[in-house]
Amino acid sequence: MQAGSLSLGSAALSQMLPSMSLASLTGQQETGGVLSQLHFPAKAKRVIFLCMAGGPSHLETFDYKPELERLNGQPMPESFTKGQPIAQLQGKKLICQGALKKFRPHGESGQMICDYLPNIASIADDICIVRSLQTDQINHDPAHTVMNTGTSISGRPSMGSWVTYGLGSESENLPGFVVLTSVGGRNPQPIASRQWHSGFLPSKYQGVEFYSNGDPVHYVRNPQGISETAQQDVMQAIGDLNRHRFESIANPEIEARVAQYELAFRMQSSIPELMDFSDESADTLESYGAKGMDGSFAANCLLARRMVERGVRFVQLYHRGWDHHGDLDKYMNICCGHCDQPSAALIKDLKQRGLLEDTLVIWGGEFGRTPMFQGKGASAGRDHHIRGFSMFMAGGGIKPGITYGATDELGYNAVDNVVHVNDLHATMLALMGIDHKQLTYRFQGRDFRLTDVAGRIVKEIIA
Amino acid sequence: MKLFVVGESRILPPTWLLSLGLLSLGLLSAPVNIALGQVGEVSIQFARDIQPILSEHCFACHGPDPESREAGLRLDDPEGWGTELESGEGVAFHAGAPDSSVAVSRIESEDSDVMPPADFGKPLDDAQKQLLRRWVKQGAKWQQHWAYAPLQGEVPAVDALPAGDDEWIERWSVTPIDRFLMRQMRLADLDLRPNPKADPVTLIRRLYFDLTGLPPSPEAVDRFVSDPTPAAYVQLVDQLLASPAHAEHMTRYWLDWVRFADTVGYHGDQDHAAWPYRDYVLKSFADNLPFDQFTTEQLAGDLLPEPTEDQLIASAYNRLLQTTHEGGAQDLEYREKYLADRVRNFSEVWLASTMGCAQCHDHKYDPLTQDDFYSLGAFFADIDERGSYDGAAPNAVPTLRHPQKEVLSPLDRDRLPDDFSQQIETRLAERLPAELERERRGKQKKLEEKAESSEAGDSKVAEVKLTSKEVQRIESQLRARIQKERYAELEIRTGQCMYTRAVEPREVRLLPRGDWLDRSGPVVQPRTPGSMPPMELPVGTEGKRANRLDLARWLFQDDNPLPPRVMANRLWAIAFHKGISSNLGDFGFQGQWPSHPQLLDYLAMRLQQSWDLRSVLREIVLSEAYQQESTVVAGRDPGNRFYTRQLRPRLAAEAIRDNALAVSGLLVPEIGGPSVKPYQPAGYYRSLNFPMRKYHASKGQDLYRRGLYMHWQRQFLHPMLKAFDAPTREECTAERAISNTPSASLVLLNAPEFVEAARALALRSVRETRSPPSEKNAEVKRSWEAARAIERMFRLTLSRQPDETEEKRLLQLYQAQLEMAQSDDEAARLLEVATPIAAERLEEEHLTVNQLFALTQVARVLLNLDETITRY
Repeated sequence: MQAGSLSLGSAALSQMLPSMSLASLTGQQETGGVLSQLHFPAKAKRVIFLCMAGGPSHLETFDYKPELERLNGQPMPESFTKGQPIAQLQGKKLICQGALKKFRPHGESGQMICDYLPNIASIADDICIVRSLQTDQINHDPAHTVMNTGTSISGRPSMGSWVTYGLGSESENLPGFVVLTSVGGRNPQPIASRQWHSGFLPSKYQGVEFYSNGDPVHYVRNPQGISETAQQDVMQAIGDLNRHRFESIANPEIEARVAQYELAFRMQSSIPELMDFSDESADTLESYGAKGMDGSFAANCLLARRMVERGVRFVQLYHRGWDHHGDLDKYMNICCGHCDQPSAALIKDLKQRGLLEDTLVIWGGEFGRTPMFQGKGASAGRDHHIRGFSMFMAGGGIKPGITYGATDELGYNAVDNVVHVNDLHATMLALMGIDHKQLTYRFQGRDFRLTDVAGRIVKEIIA
Repeated sequence: MKLFVVGESRILPPTWLLSLGLLSLGLLSAPVNIALGQVGEVSIQFARDIQPILSEHCFACHGPDPESREAGLRLDDPEGWGTELESGEGVAFHAGAPDSSVAVSRIESEDSDVMPPADFGKPLDDAQKQLLRRWVKQGAKWQQHWAYAPLQGEVPAVDALPAGDDEWIERWSVTPIDRFLMRQMRLADLDLRPNPKADPVTLIRRLYFDLTGLPPSPEAVDRFVSDPTPAAYVQLVDQLLASPAHAEHMTRYWLDWVRFADTVGYHGDQDHAAWPYRDYVLKSFADNLPFDQFTTEQLAGDLLPEPTEDQLIASAYNRLLQTTHEGGAQDLEYREKYLADRVRNFSEVWLASTMGCAQCHDHKYDPLTQDDFYSLGAFFADIDERGSYDGAAPNAVPTLRHPQKEVLSPLDRDRLPDDFSQQIETRLAERLPAELERERRGKQKKLEEKAESSEAGDSKVAEVKLTSKEVQRIESQLRARIQKERYAELEIRTGQCMYTRAVEPREVRLLPRGDWLDRSGPVVQPRTPGSMPPMELPVGTEGKRANRLDLARWLFQDDNPLPPRVMANRLWAIAFHKGISSNLGDFGFQGQWPSHPQLLDYLAMRLQQSWDLRSVLREIVLSEAYQQESTVVAGRDPGNRFYTRQLRPRLAAEAIRDNALAVSGLLVPEIGGPSVKPYQPAGYYRSLNFPMRKYHASKGQDLYRRGLYMHWQRQFLHPMLKAFDAPTREECTAERAISNTPSASLVLLNAPEFVEAARALALRSVRETRSPPSEKNAEVKRSWEAARAIERMFRLTLSRQPDETEEKRLLQLYQAQLEMAQSDDEAARLLEVATPIAAERLEEEHLTVNQLFALTQVARVLLNLDETITRY
């Protein structure tokens, strides 16, 4: 740790803002969204999206395919693959690869979940498994862009930006949209900051990247040698001189700038408290498997709960190790070792605190993996797959304990109740009370929306 | 609502009734009595008043896209208006007869058959309905969309301008620009008047920031303030336009448009070789290269007869797009992505056209078809590159994007001695014999060792000779080495640069719904959009396949009004921070009707004369309109549509950085060269991979270069640039947004580059305000005073003297901080921020650490002020 100071006491804060009421600081422009009225009653107020970057295998998690196991090692029937986009298996022989671990029914609902995920299996009755996802892009970067913005074309806002644009943030001191990443597993996927960019929306709706090791936010720490009080004096003088200038030229931008400095100041003072786990019980830490602020997925899950408790609207946690072209078993063990326990703990913790009912949790990757074998490494792996894959959702108005949609007998094509990424977005917005067709933004002469020209609300999974 | 207006003027049509916006807001609901002409009912202009309504509310279902067309009705084409409807009810618009026009009755309907349908979510308001009715009554006349119509911008004659005896009228009667603006102002309201001329300090700051992106020095300010005459102003403008900083400033804009970056953008976001292209742009702006030539070299430099190396570097434009090096990328898919990317960028940069919409379907609003999209893409089908990168330097930084080659910076080429190759050959001749002998001995030794270790153990080997092939290799290697040495001695910068090489054009098909897997669409040939002027091919080449060179020539055909309008509008926005058409990136039906169409056309025609960007920008900043105050007068000209004041935009990201470096004296004014890496938060690239990367900040002078030269990592743009709205340059950014966020405040407050600049500003101010050296005794310490140093800092930062309140407040801060530092051992650590400064240096300056601390705190306040980062 550098000597620079992170926190400013509450006394300092009240001194800083002598004449500012909170309302004037956090007026409609600052934290309110553009929607004065919701389109539907909101079932979810906030979202935690657990992004399993790299594309976890649906065939080793939530999509049970006995027929694929039967055909293990045999050629993949050409009827499935002809004319389909293929990534690294281009030009290779296509062989069926059955699931590497057993599936069993869990909970009262009897949902089929693979043995790689014992903890998530323990909350089978709280989650809704969707087995019929589809996306448009077969390479990671564009597929993430589809998952976040609804299209692979650059420059569109991400879903967290759309949500905060529509609904605003409930926090006065923290950004409405926060992103954290963690690593482990196979060679980690690069995640571009465009994945949480606000695109053509005003940049205040941009996701802010937090780090659970090192400085939590860029430049949030006072410079070396500058104490809390010294910094506070500087900010006071900036405010005084800006206000003095405002008296003579009345540029409303100055007022806005003063307000932003005050918000920055509040961020500086509230972030240390957010990042400090010392008020968490040993039991809680243990349930997540969190060992403190170490940048792990477990720490990030706990932090996500702390953020939604403090009013952050949209939290995205990336785990970047799920690209298993080879050595699938080894890497599934590693990735599930990182993600299974904290994901389940987060949902249990939210439930226990009464937050799950209005917090929507979504778990899944940018695509799934082929039913076909890929042999990059010492043992079996799977290539990228976009025609059918699985995710699960929980809380926030989602029907618990159900499975929705299905792929064909080999887990290749989603055939039953297909849910395109645009449909996932439409459903997510609907749960938050937003009609995806009505949350639009005019750019280059056209009204854009998260679901572009598509999107179906999957009513069947809404409680 | 009854509307009155003047009759048609011979010189200018009555464009004073600016927009439908004004009309429908009811702002002109009362009769407007003005001094000129007859009063009568408004003549509705289709392009200005009606088309925007139809485009916004009707074209989605009754527009150019046949896929989504309902009831067979097409309202974007006047032929559709009078065509009998499929339902047999009649025609949509019956000229002169609104009551027998089906569209009018459906629009006015109060039943469920109302148009647009309720579930479309875009109902028409009463004013719009009335306007449509009146337009039909007046004959439902069609007019070409303003952006596509031929240029016509006759300058209002002085004697045709409305009279008046105010002082400003005389001033505003001189330049054509002012005459256009004044006329519109006078016609709207005789009481409307612009702001007075801004004071000299504001003016010189405005000019510096708008033309160079840098602040003026206090000395430059003093000079101008002592002689703020029009002649001095002109001189200042000319001096700034001729400065290298102006070329840098213009380059910054251009790089946003062509989406120049140092990395590939997709997946691993590896570095690619592009900086010499930036130097080409810098050189072009410095030389004021005519815009047509500048454009042609970029689009088709490689196709010019015997292209120079600089023209090949210019052709890197075609390679600046985002590319992927991801394993498993499919060649065909990415070729299609690249084609679409190029069409989007080309059409937005030069045509302000949002062609991107036509990738999957015919444009919903603009007369641009899907066929237009792919046909335009076909011009770029000859660019040599791979769609996927399997095998070509995968996962390496920098990556390879062939074709690329080692080049000289275009900025340094002029310094290459005429006899450069002679010099190289002379050196080569001197050094070659020794080099050959060394190599020969090496070869001999190897053979001897080999012979020794062989079973025979015979170490005697006859004297070997080099083969002629070996001699050739050694010679060329040595020549390359000598060349490199010589470039270094001459300080001529060299590096790799991508360029364009034409190959046999690939087949381009129209992709149904933009789906690259669907190869059922027709093959298309290079062709410009059908709604724009047809391409004239040089005599004798008709019928050949048109290429990028033809495309570039087409942009500058006399009958093509788009490129001159687009550029004129953007030059205007560089000075006024708002376009005459306020949407700089979209001149389509959904764009903005220009507030002053004739002025825009006048400037466009000025450009067309010789494509001299600098002279048009010069003319703009010499106008009175440009020089007026930015003060807002309550209630007057709310949207500033009449240009009754200047705007006061926040500075761009790079200018905020450059300003801090300039006022602190840290700025290193080197022009061009490879990108540099200023300080950046540790671990910022943690989410990058293939390969994993660590950011290594530059050393020494490269830490203090202008923002223009900062390494542009598309996926993780430097947080300072990002916080102040610099674009990631994935797509063309015709105009940057300006936000105001807490992240930006944190950057200015805490980022090391700004703290370091504050510290340097403090030191500089002390140094520049010392008492003069004693003549009697050189040993006497040169004293300094806090108040004077602070005043100097203030002048350096804001170009003016502090007023009493400001002076007192800053001095008070200084005192308080000094006391604070005296009781805080940690305060000395401020010296360690960024590049640490040695305590001994302070002794030389006769400063204590605590004094520097307190002065730095004052400087931080100054660098954070709204006035510092705003151009007034």
